Amino acid sequence: MLGLSGVASAQSEADVSFFRDQVKPILQQHCFECHGASDGKGGYKIKSGLQLISRKGLLKGGAHGAVINEESPEKSLLLEVISYNNEDLQMPPKNKLSDEEIALITDWVKRGAPWTPEDADVLHEVHDPHAEMTTVNEKTKAHWSYKPMQRPAVPEVAEFAHPIDKFLEVERQARGLKANHPASRGELLRRATFDLTGLAPSLAEVQAFENDTSADAWEKRIDRLLALPQYGEKWGRHWLDLVRYAESQGFERDTPKAFVWRYRDYVIDAFNKDKPYDQFLTEQLAGDEIPNPTAESLIATGYHRLMQWDDEPADRLQHFHDVIDDNVRVTTETMLGMTVGCARCHDHKGDPIPQKDYFQFASFFRNISPMGNGNTNLRLIDTAQSHSPEQVQAMQQEMQQVRERIQQAEQAYAALPEQKDLAVEKDNVALITDSRVKPWKWHFTTKKPADDWFTVGFRAETQGWQEGLSAFGTDVPNGKAVTSWRTPDIWLQTSFLLEKIPSSLRMDLHHDEDVSIYCNGQLVYQKEKYRVDYASMEVPPAFLAALQTGRNVISVHVHQTGGGQYFDFGLVTKGRSIRREMLAEQNTQLTPEQRQAFRQDVARLAELEKLLEKRSEQALVVAENGKESPPTFIHMRGSAHAEGAEVQPGFPLIFGGEMAKSLPIEHSNSTGRRLALAEWITRDDNPRTARVMVNRLWQHHFGKGICATPNDFGFLGSAPTHPQLLDWLASEFVSKNWSMKAMHKLIMTSAAYQMSNRRSEVQLAQDPANETYWRFMPRRMTSEELRDNILLATGELNLQQGGPSIFVPIPEEVLATSSTKGGKWGESPPDQVNRRSVYGVSKRSLQVPLLTDHDQADLDNPCPVRFATIVPTQALGMINSDFIHEKARVLSARLKREAGDDPAAQVKIAYQLMVQRTADEQEISRAVEFLQLMRDEHKLSADDALQRFCVAVFSFNEFIFID
Amino acid sequence: MIIKPSQNFCGQIRRREFIHQLGGGFTSLALTGLLGQSGFFSQAQAAELSANPLAPRIPQLPAKAKSVIFLFMYGGPSHMDTFDYKPKLYPLDGKTIPIKTFGRGGKKNEGRVVGPKWKFKQYGQCGKYVSDLFPHTAQCVDDIAFVHSMTADSPIHGSAMLMMNSGSLLSGKPSLGSWLNYGLGSVNENLPGYVVMLDKTGGPISGAKNWSSGYMPASYQGVVFRSQGDPILNLADKNGMSRVQQRSLLDYLGDANHKHLQGREDHTDLSSRIASYELAFRMQATAPEAIDIDKEPEHIKKLYGMDEARTEDFGRKCLLARRLVERGVRFIQIYSGGAHNDDNWDAHGDLEKNHNFHAGNTDKAIAGLLKDLKQRGLLDETLVVWGGEFGRQPTAEYAAGTGRDHNSYGFTMWMAGGGIKGGISYGETDELGSQAVVNRCQVKHLHATILHQMGIDPNSLSYFYNGLDQKLIGVEEIDPISEIMA
Repeated sequence: MLGLSGVASAQSEADVSFFRDQVKPILQQHCFECHGASDGKGGYKIKSGLQLISRKGLLKGGAHGAVINEESPEKSLLLEVISYNNEDLQMPPKNKLSDEEIALITDWVKRGAPWTPEDADVLHEVHDPHAEMTTVNEKTKAHWSYKPMQRPAVPEVAEFAHPIDKFLEVERQARGLKANHPASRGELLRRATFDLTGLAPSLAEVQAFENDTSADAWEKRIDRLLALPQYGEKWGRHWLDLVRYAESQGFERDTPKAFVWRYRDYVIDAFNKDKPYDQFLTEQLAGDEIPNPTAESLIATGYHRLMQWDDEPADRLQHFHDVIDDNVRVTTETMLGMTVGCARCHDHKGDPIPQKDYFQFASFFRNISPMGNGNTNLRLIDTAQSHSPEQVQAMQQEMQQVRERIQQAEQAYAALPEQKDLAVEKDNVALITDSRVKPWKWHFTTKKPADDWFTVGFRAETQGWQEGLSAFGTDVPNGKAVTSWRTPDIWLQTSFLLEKIPSSLRMDLHHDEDVSIYCNGQLVYQKEKYRVDYASMEVPPAFLAALQTGRNVISVHVHQTGGGQYFDFGLVTKGRSIRREMLAEQNTQLTPEQRQAFRQDVARLAELEKLLEKRSEQALVVAENGKESPPTFIHMRGSAHAEGAEVQPGFPLIFGGEMAKSLPIEHSNSTGRRLALAEWITRDDNPRTARVMVNRLWQHHFGKGICATPNDFGFLGSAPTHPQLLDWLASEFVSKNWSMKAMHKLIMTSAAYQMSNRRSEVQLAQDPANETYWRFMPRRMTSEELRDNILLATGELNLQQGGPSIFVPIPEEVLATSSTKGGKWGESPPDQVNRRSVYGVSKRSLQVPLLTDHDQADLDNPCPVRFATIVPTQALGMINSDFIHEKARVLSARLKREAGDDPAAQVKIAYQLMVQRTADEQEISRAVEFLQLMRDEHKLSADDALQRFCVAVFSFNEFIFID
Repeated sequence: MIIKPSQNFCGQIRRREFIHQLGGGFTSLALTGLLGQSGFFSQAQAAELSANPLAPRIPQLPAKAKSVIFLFMYGGPSHMDTFDYKPKLYPLDGKTIPIKTFGRGGKKNEGRVVGPKWKFKQYGQCGKYVSDLFPHTAQCVDDIAFVHSMTADSPIHGSAMLMMNSGSLLSGKPSLGSWLNYGLGSVNENLPGYVVMLDKTGGPISGAKNWSSGYMPASYQGVVFRSQGDPILNLADKNGMSRVQQRSLLDYLGDANHKHLQGREDHTDLSSRIASYELAFRMQATAPEAIDIDKEPEHIKKLYGMDEARTEDFGRKCLLARRLVERGVRFIQIYSGGAHNDDNWDAHGDLEKNHNFHAGNTDKAIAGLLKDLKQRGLLDETLVVWGGEFGRQPTAEYAAGTGRDHNSYGFTMWMAGGGIKGGISYGETDELGSQAVVNRCQVKHLHATILHQMGIDPNSLSYFYNGLDQKLIGVEEIDPISEIMA
């Protein structure tokens, strides 16, 4: 054994005693405790897998590799960590060793790290009880979900005709159980309508179904429901849960993800169109890389931009990889039912996923351009041009003329003596002067800076940017350059101090051509094309919102494609606005005619600018940084600062470990890696993709998946209750061209889906968890269903589809919990407020209490299964909230409108609207009694009594639970 | 690489079978996460959790504390101007020195020293130096353990707030109060187990993310409590509905729901939901009583500084916290400072003005709370924690002025009561206060200490999510700070 451990034969007696007497005590005192000592529980403490108790341990090393470098001892990791020079790895963690101790250890390492021979080879045996399932071996390959899919034969079962029922019946028979009787038609239609659309059917629909004796009555209902646009809204929501769809970035500023709602509309639309699932996945992963991308497929790539993102991280490099990690986890969990997240830091401890596999997977996303604020990641997606070229030319000419007229009028006006009685604010404070007032000092560069150049922590002065005075560029009409700039791009940064936040600000701007202005990391102004003169304007609200007391940083990018270059910028609190003065009614220096003409020109200019805007829509999409990706390295312990071996894009070893063959994509200037990934994921024989999705379809019909852990099909997940059925469904899915609607119909036409949920004492005792599907299980409405169906009952639900999200009102008390006034929560018009919940703004730091109380999906993590908790805060909201009381008032008005003043008739209608059935005599008399009590005992008016009744009705279990 | 044999590692098929036994597509499904590996909870406890996530649990370890009051000085109070005495910093005032700092303004290697702006005096038997910003709290130093060697992973508010509250720089993780309620349950079902009181100026950055339950059920999230008016959202009767009237309404609702229950008795969610309305009804009576501070005698109100305009608000919240502790609330967090900039301790501009304002608003109330808890014998079982998401730099942020930038390399937090040793200081920053150098602690050590004092083993409190047994303190084992335990 001796030679193996590498105890240098050259080690002298002197070296050994030096170690024994002077070095070993230091190691014993400061290192052994965490790296090899007994943990007092019969095991050992071996942090980071490193044992420092022997020379063998030094060489074997831990998560960061060997701690002694025998060839260049001075480069030993041990010396690096005790020096405290590496901020991410400092040992011992609590106290730095003394200089003397460090000197002794350094000396010892340089001597070749001699060790006392008697214990130089000692290492504690580390037994990994999970080794069997964490390596790729015959056993792990045989695990049900790592195994290739096979199409099992449908069992021969005489009692049932439907294949699903045949599979289920085998299990039931084995346990001596029988399928329940069918649900009533009323129950069934309510169940199906909720499952497919998230909304209740009308009583008329229920009755029509009850009276329909045709053989295909049920199939017709399924077809009708699947064709409703509300289907996509309900099922799109399930998908949005998985991809943790949210419309803000999170963290300090929690700024909106602009236009992200187009992705939400894409998802809803994809379900409604029955877009084949393989295509659905491909478009999200690589809709820009596929041949002939469409507006739709480009919008789908918003998928890569949904995660939380910190615009001001403490560690930029690490956060860049956090974002990739977030997307790796969502992709693997959602599409493949794999939890690979653990393998970012070390080999997975429950599944055969080595760390290398994780980074090979991460490399598919490595070249994606970093997330940014504002419209950094937006893309204009061209739609049809609505003006002819002749019209455009005419408009451009007219615009030029109008501009000149306005300019002349303003110059003439400026030459007049100032008019005293106009409300001119005198106390101008220039925060940044434009060149006309006084050239201002900026830092600038014409070389493309780092991607985060506009963010808060980026300091131009420390990045070697030059200094220069404004204006920048070449001489242009109405502008004289001070600092020369003649390249296509310039990036500038400057700062100013603010004592307090002003209520308004004016900016003076002249640019040629496209300009983007950031204030404290946030995009606050953007304009394409060039100006021919200085424009003076109120800054947009986003600019004011981005200001802070103390230092404020302005970052600017100007991009020029042809002609002259120019940029100048000034920022002034208050001040004189010539244009505003000229437009003022009380201005006596202009004749009414002059003012009228001027006003018309100003209005026409605005109109022309709008007309000439590109006819295209913006969307938040993916983009890559060119056709070559930077290399991807394994990160030791998940730290981006500790790079290990380089890896190439490839697929997990457990699935064969094939390397990806990607070709750079000409039309999207990208690597083609994501397309290669999409092609692998959507292969018909991918062992996971079809299984995972049919399991989800099953889950949302039956309340739980055949595999009860839908995002984890690995060893830590549940075993499927009916693996044969799952595989058969998966193969059906593929053979039906990945049609989700076909699968819905297949599942819903089974007897299992149509069973009653009522108990049978004997069967309940035998199979309380309903593992054999002897009955159907009821479910509670989701948070969105609750809100939508209350609005449906009151008659207010607005079924308008798509478009920008709407603000569901949030109570004042909750808005007050935000760090900004009112949480920047907007207000939507009354009819818009009543749209379905899937169209509500979802902001990470501020959420609607009714929805969070009822377990809406968490916005930061993939949510494969919603919680369905029952807690008293829900009851408080359902009895006391403004929302409920207001909706109860609207519902009571509807009852009165439809039933008149007869309490019994009002109650009947309420039952019809809320639970889609006819109330029985007992229910009517109990309700009428309640109304009577409210009037007589509590002295309420008939209207108020009815409103109280409606409050109670919203809390009916029969309303909230679906049989 | 050696795979550490982890006692806490699950992957036990047994756990999964158990989930199946709990039942089909109902509430129990939500429990997929609840059963931390190697059974953090016994099967019986877990079964109870399925019915009521807040059912009380018996702590694993002998608990020193029953409740935590976390006084969150949001924005980052300056340690060298409050409790971390740095005599060598005074004479350096105005001098530019080489020093490594990292704050909002990025990493710097030199800076102009801002000497501490307040005098320090010695207090108590232990002779602890405390600045003139906290003359009242200073009188309690013999009950306080100061940790001067705190470090955090981020000097930026957004991520540092999440770190202090949930142990992670990224959002989506449950906060400390959620973990405590998950681990211990609630002993008073008529009140929330996790209460947050915000500053008058608004919530902190990231708002509700700071008291979120992350991937756990929403039942574990913090409930925002207002110190005046309706304490909890939707607690008050609406629309002129009296309590008697509401009783009639609930009776009617109960009848309707019981009729629906017939033939469905085996679906326990239906009866749970019926019961939850009765619970809510009782809560409506209990919670207002808990905040009815008028019942407190004048001398107690005075003790908390409620007789002075500037300390009235924080004093009221501290007094309310004591009343909630008496009623079994597990975790109470009170924010000093809200919104942005100088509305909190974030003194980038005028340090003196900022800290005089915030310390002056809170000092007397904090001292009052400690004294009141002590005289009632409650301090022994109540852990009081004071601190912000980070501290501040010894050097100035701008060319002119006294403002200090953020500092996560070293800062001070203190704890009192709940089995914490009084009159001691643990850990040190360097002589300028720029970074922790002796007995350095991370946020997870602080969290581990809080859990430990509450009777929870921080290394085994876990929640299965995303293929991993998630823990507040992270994957590696962490020792609580035993040196400050009594």
